[in-house]
This record gives sequence, C-alpha cells and structure tokens, in this order.
Amino acid sequence: MPRLLVALAFVFPLAAQQVQVEEFTLPNGLKFLLAPRKGSPTIAAGWMARVGSVNERPGITGLAHLFEHMMFKGTHTLGVKNIEEDLKLQVDLDGVKAELRKQEQELARRRRLGEISDGSDPKVRTARHRQLLEEWDKLNARQRELIIKEEYDQILTREGATGVNATTSHDHTLYFVNVPANKLELWFWLESDRLANPVFREFYAERDVVHEERRRMESRPTGRFQEQFDALFWQSSPYGWPVVGWPSDLEAISREDAGEFFNTYYSPNNLAACLVGDFDPVQVKALARRYFARLGRGRREPEPVRTLEEPQRAEQRMIAHAPTLPEAVIRYHTVAEGHRDEPALDVLASILSGRTGRFYKSLVLEQQLAASASARQDGLKYEGYFEIRGTARAGKTPEQVEQALYKEIERVQNEPVPARELEKVKNQFQAERYRRLQSDFFLMFQLLMYESTRSWQSINTDSARLEAVSVEDLMRVAKKYFAATNRNVLLFYTQRGAP
Amino acid sequence: MRLLPLVFFVAAVCAQEIPRHPRELKFPPYPFTPPRAADFRHQLASGAIAYLVEDHQLPLVNISVLVRTGSYLEPAGKRGLASLTGSEIRSGGTKSKSAADFDEEAAFLAAQISSSIGPTQGNAQLNCLTRNLDACLALFADMLRNPGFAEDRFLLAKSQMLQALERRNDRADAIEAREFQRLLRGESHFSTAQVTRASLEAITRQDLIDFHARYYAPVNFILAVSGDFQSRDMLARLEKAFAGWPGAAGAIPPVPKPEFSPRPGIYMFQKSDLNQGRVRMGHLGVTVSNPDHIALRIMNGALGGSGFTSRLTMRVRSDEGLAYQASSSFAPGTDYDGAFEVIFQSRNPSVAQAVSIVKEEIERLRNQKLTADELETQKRFTIDSFPRRFQTASLRAAQFAGDEYDHLPPDYWEKYRDRIRALTADDIQRVARQYLHPDRLVIVIVGNTEAIVKGNADRPQYSFDKLGLGAVRPMPLPDPLTMVYPSQPR
Repeated sequence: MPRLLVALAFVFPLAAQQVQVEEFTLPNGLKFLLAPRKGSPTIAAGWMARVGSVNERPGITGLAHLFEHMMFKGTHTLGVKNIEEDLKLQVDLDGVKAELRKQEQELARRRRLGEISDGSDPKVRTARHRQLLEEWDKLNARQRELIIKEEYDQILTREGATGVNATTSHDHTLYFVNVPANKLELWFWLESDRLANPVFREFYAERDVVHEERRRMESRPTGRFQEQFDALFWQSSPYGWPVVGWPSDLEAISREDAGEFFNTYYSPNNLAACLVGDFDPVQVKALARRYFARLGRGRREPEPVRTLEEPQRAEQRMIAHAPTLPEAVIRYHTVAEGHRDEPALDVLASILSGRTGRFYKSLVLEQQLAASASARQDGLKYEGYFEIRGTARAGKTPEQVEQALYKEIERVQNEPVPARELEKVKNQFQAERYRRLQSDFFLMFQLLMYESTRSWQSINTDSARLEAVSVEDLMRVAKKYFAATNRNVLLFYTQRGAP
Repeated sequence: MRLLPLVFFVAAVCAQEIPRHPRELKFPPYPFTPPRAADFRHQLASGAIAYLVEDHQLPLVNISVLVRTGSYLEPAGKRGLASLTGSEIRSGGTKSKSAADFDEEAAFLAAQISSSIGPTQGNAQLNCLTRNLDACLALFADMLRNPGFAEDRFLLAKSQMLQALERRNDRADAIEAREFQRLLRGESHFSTAQVTRASLEAITRQDLIDFHARYYAPVNFILAVSGDFQSRDMLARLEKAFAGWPGAAGAIPPVPKPEFSPRPGIYMFQKSDLNQGRVRMGHLGVTVSNPDHIALRIMNGALGGSGFTSRLTMRVRSDEGLAYQASSSFAPGTDYDGAFEVIFQSRNPSVAQAVSIVKEEIERLRNQKLTADELETQKRFTIDSFPRRFQTASLRAAQFAGDEYDHLPPDYWEKYRDRIRALTADDIQRVARQYLHPDRLVIVIVGNTEAIVKGNADRPQYSFDKLGLGAVRPMPLPDPLTMVYPSQPR
C-alpha cells in the first residue's frame, strides 16, 4: 500500500505550480509585479533596489546598508516640523562634520605613528576639536527640536501595518511591510514620497547605530572570524568586504557620498516593486501611475559590477581559536545564481545534508565523528560558492572531520548517486516549492529576490531545471568544482571563553 | 527622448491628485469578525480535540499536536528527560520501524515531521503533500503512539547534549537569559532548573519510555489541522489513526508557581572578550487571568513593544545611537506570573547611559500620561492589525488549539478589540503605577565588566551609582557541567 502512494508522490499537476504574476513597467522604468490572492486581510508590499555591497568600492564599504537605514529617516514632508530650517541645519552639520573629520584624521595620523594609543580618549583632543564637538552637540540639539521622530514608522504602525523593515545583502536592498488590505494607498504615498523627496536626516547618529549592529555580529563566538574568512575567500571580488562595511569606512562616509549613491542606484529604472494579496490590479495600476510616475528616470543606467573574481590557484587555510565547538568549514568557488550548473549543485547539497543525508549517516551515525554536518550552494549575482561544514564530537579534531567530509565529496565525484536517492531529493524540492508559496510575505520576498538577479519567472522555471538533473550531472559538477586547489578551509579549535 | 515630454505631462497631472500628507488619505472600512473556534472544534472518539480549518490553495496538509506535558513533570534528578523524550520520539524510530527506515520513508515522501517537549507543552508536527497524506499520517501516528527510542540514537542524543552543556557559558546571550531567569524565579522552580552532567547521566532509555507512556495519549492531545482536505474525510482519518489508543494513567498535575521574591540590583557577569554589553532588565509581571494585561499590552507597546514607534527605540537607538535594538515585553504568564523585560546591547562605555535612559522611561510612564497621539497609535495598531492573527488557515487552527491549551475564555478574541477601544490614558497610567516598579529592577549585564563600569568619559552624568539600585554586584558563572556557582554572593 505505501509503495503505490510513494510512486504517486512525484506526479504533479504542473499548471498548479505556476505563480501567476501580472507585470507592468512605468515609463520611468519602474517595474511592478502583481500577484493577487483572494481572501487575505493584508497585502504584502515591497520594493527592491538592484544595489548591495557588491556595488561599493573601498572607502564607501557599508554605504548600501547605511543607506537602507537612512531611507527611514524622513522626507521633505515627513519627519520634520520645518523643512527650510532643517535643510539649513543639515548644511551647518555637514560643515562642522568636515572640520571634525580633519581633527579625527590628525588623531589617526598620531595614532599611526604611535604618539597616542587611543584616538577616542578626550584628553588627546585639541581645544579646537573640543569646540567643534560642542558646536556639533548644539546643532544636533537644535535639529532634534525640528524632528518628528520616526514619523514614517509611526504612520504605518498607527494604520495597523506590521513587519515594517528592510534588508541589505551583497546584491540587493529590499524594503517591505504588510499593510491592511483597505489601506494600500498609504503604501503608495509613503514609498513614492521617500523616493521622490528623501532627506538623509540624522545621518551621523545612524552611523553609530550601524556600528552597534556590527558589534552585535562580532559578539558571537564565531562572528568575528566569519568576516576574515570571507575576506580570505574572495580574492578580487567586492564580495570580500562585509555588507555592514569596514569600521573605518563607516566613520568616513559623508552625506554627500550618500546623495551620489542615491542618484545612481535609486532611480526608478533600477527598482522593482511587488504586491501579493487581495487587491484589484486595475486599481493598483492607477495608483502606481498616480504616485510613482513623478520619479524621473536616472540620467544613466547603473553599470554592472566590473571587478570579477580571479581564479583561485592554491588552497587557502585559516585556523581560528574560538569559544565554540571544534568545526571544519570548507568553501569551494562555484557558480553564480541561475547558472546552468546550479541545480546540480543544489541537488548535491541536499544529497549530503539533512537527517538522511550522507554526511549525517556517515560522519554522525556510523563514524561517530561529527555532532552535525551540512552542505549548501550559495549563488550570488556575480559569483557563488559551495560550502560544507561539520562540528566535531567530543574528543575528535576538526582535521578528522575535514578528512571525513572529503571522503564523502570523493564518493559523489567517483560513484554514481543511486536513482532512488536522487528521486528522494527531487521529491523534497517539489514539496518545498509548495511550502514556499504558503506565505504572501515570503512570496513577495522571493519574487523580488529572483527579479534582482535574473527575473521573477525563475520561480516558475527553476523546478523543471531541478527535475532535469541527472546522475551524470552530479558527478560532472562534483569533479569540476570540488578540486583541492579550489578549496578554502577554516578550522575552529575550542578555546575556553574568556572569563 | 520621445518619451520624456509624456513623462512630464503625466507627472504634472498626477501631482495634483497626491494628497499633501498621508493623514489626508481616506480608507474604505474593513469589517472583520474573528472566526469562532467552536465552529471548527471536534472531539474524537479517543478523546483528542481537533480544530480543522480547510484551505485548498496549495496541495499541503499541516497537523500540529499539542500535548499536555512538559519538563515541569520531570522526576527529581532527571533534568533533561522531557527534552530528550521529545526529540527521541522523532529520532528513535518506532516499535516496528528502525530509526533509519523511518527517516528514509519520511524523507522519500517529502514529509516534514518533528517532535519536542518544552517547559509546559509537548508538540509534534506533520507537514506533507495531500497526495501522500495516508502514508504520512500513518508514519506520524505510529511515531506518536509507538516510538522505538532506539538505543544508539538515544546515546547519540545524550552525548550531543553533554557536549552542548560544556559550551553553555560560551554565548553571552545564553548567559544573559539564563541568569536573568534564575535571579527572577529563584533556583527551586522548574523553570530555572538546569540540566547537569549528573542529571543527564541518570536518564535511562526506560525513563523515556515511561515518560512518553504517562503523557502521550489522545485525551492529552489538542490538534490543529489545516490545509487541503475535506473536514469530514479528515475526521475519519484521525479517528482511525488514534483508534483503540487507551487513555493515559491519572490526571496531570498543575504547573507549579514559583515562590520567590527577587532581589533588585545590578548583576554583572564577566565576559572580557566582548565589545558590547548585553543587558536584560525587568521584574515580575502578571498572568493572563488578570484583566489588566490588556492595558499593560498597550502600555508596553508605547514603551518598547512596537519597534521604531516605541519610546525606547526612539531614545536609545534613534536619539543617542546607543544600541541597534532596544525593546521591552510585558507578556502575561499562563500558569504563573509573566515578566516585564527590557533587552538591548550597547558598546561597553555607553551601557550605563542606556540603562539610565531605560529607567527614566519606565519612571516617565508612571509619572506622566501617554500623549493622546501615542495612545491612539497603540490602540489603532492593535485593532487594525488584529485580523492578521487569523490571516491563514494554519494561523487560525494554531490560535484555536493554543487558546484551548491555555484555557483562554471562549469570547476572548470576540471582546478583545472592544476592551482595547475602551482604554484611556488614565487606565494606562494606573497600570503603569501598579505594575511597573523601577525600584525593583533586576538588571543583568554580561560583558567586559571593567570597561562597562568605567563608562563614557564624555557622559559623566550617567553611572550605575546613580540608579538607586545599590552597588554593582560582580557575579560568578557556574561550572557548566555541575551548575555549581563558585561563591554565592547571596
């Protein structure tokens, strides 16, 4: 009886899998993706800018992410009581900041030469520096009187919107919210306003917030090493610096940098918006024209990233001591999101991972060597990698785990994966496709993510590509990408946490 | 170029139609009546309660089983038994299927099956394709009813748990949560009892078998079932899956209340390699049977419970740039008093300043009424986001099942929005005065003690001495395997 049902498990009505999306583009280049779904009391609404840390350069690393924070700081209408006075104050603030920057640069020079040990110690500041800081505080206090705090967020909250937030990755920046279905026009008002009339208010206080965000990551036992490993892994690609940016760049980024960044990457022709929920597409199109047509097309199309990753010619290793379980992490350079070889790499990752995956069966259960182990293919817009990792059981070393992981890699390189094992993984991908469509919010998110690297249609076409992966494909990609010279190894040894 | 004039023309026409400020927008009403749990409730012959909510958009079925059990029922000296039983129900196969066969079958059917036991609740879940429902439900019911508790999987789980114990002082966030609970609830309450090497070693496979047998029976189950099925058909399947399963032995004892009076103060735990201090501060709260918990929810929203719109985010993050995130919660407890908590992380020198600001904000809620605007924002948010609680079939089913598990009154959600509407600024100030106690704050700080106490030379007005909570108490961390604290300062 179960046999028969099992046989049915992968027979799917293909049409039911298709996500229906209505697409239209305003004359200024802003693209809309509409996925109406009946019955939901809220609409998942979001838009995406095709910009992330990969579009930065040394000196402004972290700007894409800092910028995401700035988009919540108000406009000519919102967040301020008197815009004329506010704009004047901003100019004064920039002036003092530029002077302060000179003082900080001088302190940095003295620290570089060993004349002082701590550039943030108030005792090393000059009289001029102290005077500037006083002026700075006064101007900030004056600005605070003009500001209406978090007005953007307050308006949405008051109208019952939830999940107001944004996220920046290496490749894109997403802004999203769930709005009550009867209040969709509010979203149009707010989003077109902050794209049409942004003011990068409280720029420097927000930088401190980003520093705290960075420290949060560093506070995790392995967090601070992750960044170093990324920098090691990427040789020439801009993926080598963290999305949150290098601290010294965060200190130096100016409001002027942010303005230039906005003009380049936040033009409507570099954006896409997406709505999922209960709405009338005809009405939405009218709203889109009424609110977003006022945005002018950018003077030039943003250029794709120039600097690509150079081929790796030798294995690289990094040894870290951290208050964590002993662990081996191995990364291979592979392919970008959407590459023809990606489905086979995704399937391989599933063959190796999970409760019935090869790593668990071999390293955890049979050899009792690892506490856990997994694999994943991570395709970014311009490059990609395949990562395998395993934590050691008590008394075992990360090197033992590393070698055992390689054994399993060699098996997929040299022995065909049995048909039933491949079928199991394909069944899981098929079920996963439905599970990923359960939430309106997550669907909106995925459509925008696909749109940022390839196009939203990938959500419908990727499953056929996975279905087509053959046993031969698996061996071919395993041999092609999992070469010793192509790997980067990070080994963690346990260090007792500092008291 | 040909398009340009058109764009300008459109922009000019449309600009007139855009209201100057979003408050000028008019929205159509959105009438909403919360669904009634009773309309979806069924009692099975075996005694289990099942809430069935159909949704045919996707070919998926989701079954979640709440089980009346919890770690509070562990026998003395066997701390960790409930959690191990919960995970091994899933990992140890069944009486007729080896663990490996069970896992392979579930994986091939692409079924997601899980099981766990928390402090006051057990949970098991199945998510599968409609087409595979028969085979998956059979697996799931077999797991719930006849877990195999395979010896090798049990030993593996124990060794992994032991390994995790050794590392329990590595993470600052784990220390912060654990020590705050201990200072708030005392050491003799089940909610703060910790697994030790000794308690783990004392647990046998037979203990798991007994613990499961005592509590896992349909009379102790509440099911939340949602997805692509016909209710009548699903009921028949569930009846069949649980048929002939005898009831559990005896009534389940109630959850014990802690009997402990926390001692206010500033408790500092040393983690010298951190560049940020982690803070959790608060005191005891209320239970859900206290009618004031609704007003407290609104109060908490204004203080730190609604993200950027709340006072804590505005002052600690936005005004001062002291933290990436600062938030508060005043969640009512089900079986005993919940807690009021504020959490944030800040760079070492500014911890004292941030703590002082949080305390000021707590005092301000007691001394001044919320502005009309703040009150209105919190009330309207709670009322207008209310339908989201019931947005999907799985949310509705889970809400109904959870409410019955927690013995929430049947008309709770029906009356909820009216109770919110009725609240005034006076009500909020009254509950703030009654339930917020700045003099009773327990403040747990984990980080580089020296740098945190040193504070910020640029902001000498903020220091721990000025909080009125006594001197900073340096606190020791326990031995991770025995949980014995080196020297007890109390």
